[in-house]
Amino acid sequence: MLRISQEEMEQFFEGLVASLQAQGVVCAITSGMACVKFGAALGTKDCDMLCAVNSADTFLNTLESTSLRGARCGYRSHLGAPLDTRWLSGGWTSHFAWRLADEEAALDVFGVAPRGSSPWRSETQGLYASCHTVAEMKRTDRPRDWPFATTLGVKLLRAGDPRGWLHIFDHQVLLEMAAEIPCPSELIAQRPVLGLLSSRDPRLVIALRGEVEFWQQLDHVRIQVYRQTVRSYVVAVKRDPRSDATDLRTQHQSRVEHAERLLPKNPLRDFGIDRLVREARSLAEQMAPQGSLHWLPEVAGHFVGLEV
Amino acid sequence: MPVMKPDWLTPEVEKRLREIEYEYQVRVFGEEMARVNFLPLEQRKAYIHDMIDHARRKGVKFEKEAMGVTR
Repeated sequence: MLRISQEEMEQFFEGLVASLQAQGVVCAITSGMACVKFGAALGTKDCDMLCAVNSADTFLNTLESTSLRGARCGYRSHLGAPLDTRWLSGGWTSHFAWRLADEEAALDVFGVAPRGSSPWRSETQGLYASCHTVAEMKRTDRPRDWPFATTLGVKLLRAGDPRGWLHIFDHQVLLEMAAEIPCPSELIAQRPVLGLLSSRDPRLVIALRGEVEFWQQLDHVRIQVYRQTVRSYVVAVKRDPRSDATDLRTQHQSRVEHAERLLPKNPLRDFGIDRLVREARSLAEQMAPQGSLHWLPEVAGHFVGLEV
Repeated sequence: MPVMKPDWLTPEVEKRLREIEYEYQVRVFGEEMARVNFLPLEQRKAYIHDMIDHARRKGVKFEKEAMGVTR
């Protein structure tokens, strides 16, 4: 059989979203595939999808009935929550795959956009999440993601959306942009580092380093919180032969049963957002230049969608 | 969210912002990817599809780790 091409893969996932949207499910492709669409090309084969948390059942039913070259959908890993409103709304991700002879089409589904400061559902662009949502999601613990955030920020400004100012983390680009266009005061209030632009303050360089370090640590701590709470659930799922059944419904039932006993629904809420921020700041203080954390933004508003 | 074109976005400013973006992309992604990112969508997608297909034929693994949470 011919290898499945990336074009076919993309058409498959776009078709899946279109089918879900036709059933009234609010969902959108995000991350790498969205970056390609917005002009910040990223070589990614898998698909990340946002799904309204109250549509988990319809989403699962659709996955059950959707095949790729005859292959049925199944859960991709023992690690990963069941696709169920209770865990989706707590920020968990469900992993799926259509397995062919020597390759797979992988899909990650989640209901809460990490670092989202506005509801992602309110501004999807067709089959895709908005450029603003995707840019916020790129503030990860991985340095390689940050140039994509900056690129998407510039794209937003070029489209006339001032929120682009919130996503640019390159000192030179910020200064060049500030020489051309105004930065609204309400955005400076949201992101204090922008206040250094008007006077071309030389501290801008270290302020940006501090800001990036803080966001990276925030993501690092967030991921650790989820990882630490998932262990006993994974062991139970792994031991249960139903988890690897040939049909998705049985796999799902097994995961739900174990999750109800062992998987906290909302580990970030249990951990505490304030504590998360404090720990991230403390870690950033060890890594970032002295004094560089003075201009950090208020991040409590970046958990929109998470039931906290 | 539909965005009204602001007054400051004149054709001259648009041109300059485009230049800033292009120069930045060359700096962080290299000339080839910057060029690709400024292609029309269909051409851009075709290039990326070919790039990924080629890499997979050469054995590059794209699979992401399943963590139960999204970065």
